[in-house]
Amino acid sequence: MGRDLKEVAIKNKEHIIKEWNKEISRLKDVNYTAEISAELFESNNEEFVNVILNSIRGDGTPQVIKDFSDRMIHLGWPLSYITDGLLVFRKVTLDTILHHIDQPEGEYISEVLKYVDSWVEPIIRQLVNEYSVSWEHVVSLQRIALQELSAPLIPVMDNITIMPLIGTIDTERAKFIMENLLEGVMRHNAEVVLIDITGVPVVDTMVAHHLFQATEAVRLLGAKCILVGIRPEIAQTIVNLGINFTDLPTKSTLKKGFLLALEITNKKILEVENKTQSIDKLLGLDKGSEKN
Amino acid sequence: MRIPILKLHNYLLISIQTELDDQTAIQFQEDLLKEIHQTEATGVVIDLTSVEVIDSFIAKVLGDVVLMSDLMGAKVVLTGIQPAVAMTLIELGIHMQNVPTALDLEQGLLKLHQELGE
Repeated sequence: MGRDLKEVAIKNKEHIIKEWNKEISRLKDVNYTAEISAELFESNNEEFVNVILNSIRGDGTPQVIKDFSDRMIHLGWPLSYITDGLLVFRKVTLDTILHHIDQPEGEYISEVLKYVDSWVEPIIRQLVNEYSVSWEHVVSLQRIALQELSAPLIPVMDNITIMPLIGTIDTERAKFIMENLLEGVMRHNAEVVLIDITGVPVVDTMVAHHLFQATEAVRLLGAKCILVGIRPEIAQTIVNLGINFTDLPTKSTLKKGFLLALEITNKKILEVENKTQSIDKLLGLDKGSEKN
Repeated sequence: MRIPILKLHNYLLISIQTELDDQTAIQFQEDLLKEIHQTEATGVVIDLTSVEVIDSFIAKVLGDVVLMSDLMGAKVVLTGIQPAVAMTLIELGIHMQNVPTALDLEQGLLKLHQELGE
């Protein structure tokens, strides 16, 4: 019986395609792809319906569906277009087949329903699978990218290293930060590490605890931590929460922290040439040129 | 297994190359104090670069050694604590608050030099 139904469906291919196109065009206005041109939409519809029909006829291998879905994903067609399209196809095909049967009986109709479902279901399953695989792939790539960005360590001078932190710190990230920090201190031979929390939106007891642990561990290695970038509202929360930061030197800006770091490492920034001096020289006003 | 203690000018150098067990640690504590007494050293550097595990007991012994040496007039600096070791110590809640530390032997000696003002 399945073979008969298939024949009916294929014989009335033109009719099904026409009906399907009508339905899907109506959905187009409501749902999606307003920016996709009508031409593209139509040609894509044609391809889509052919893929479905081929797969029903039995010569549409999974590979054909896979190629089709790959292209759809690549071009950014929404998944809802695919699922809607297949559901509409199911509806239209059922209508057509039932229209061509002389006396529809209850049992026969349920058989027909079962068959048509068995045509459409594997296609839906495969297409949705392809889509979700591609999404998962994107998510995992983004997670890796995020991790790369989550705890960078920048050696700015001999013995001075900066770790700028941006974004919320959770337990997993705190662990990662600590590992990176300690490895970096060893690698760069750092004497002072500046942890910049300008980009950390909230400092609660947990974040403070993690920061403390990291700085304590750094101290065990033999380096010093300076916490910089403490904004007024963060200072307020820290005091209101009763967190004790007295063991840890803190500064409001990276600049001030850097000066402290220079002090600790016995360094000083020397201006090679004073600005007024160089202007004097330019105008020939400095003492050296006067003598000449 | 005894840990060798080297004398360098006014300082004592100890490089711990084996995993410390409890017995060795206690023995080391005794040896070091005896050595400080004999040599009248003013500074001690204990290098832990090759130590991969420090448990709470060893940490306590090391902390005690620092305090005891201090009482005998010798400053102690621990150097070369590995990142993994530092992390486990912090996770165990052992902060070794009053123990001076340095990154490596060189900086440890510098630190001693500064603190003793020699």
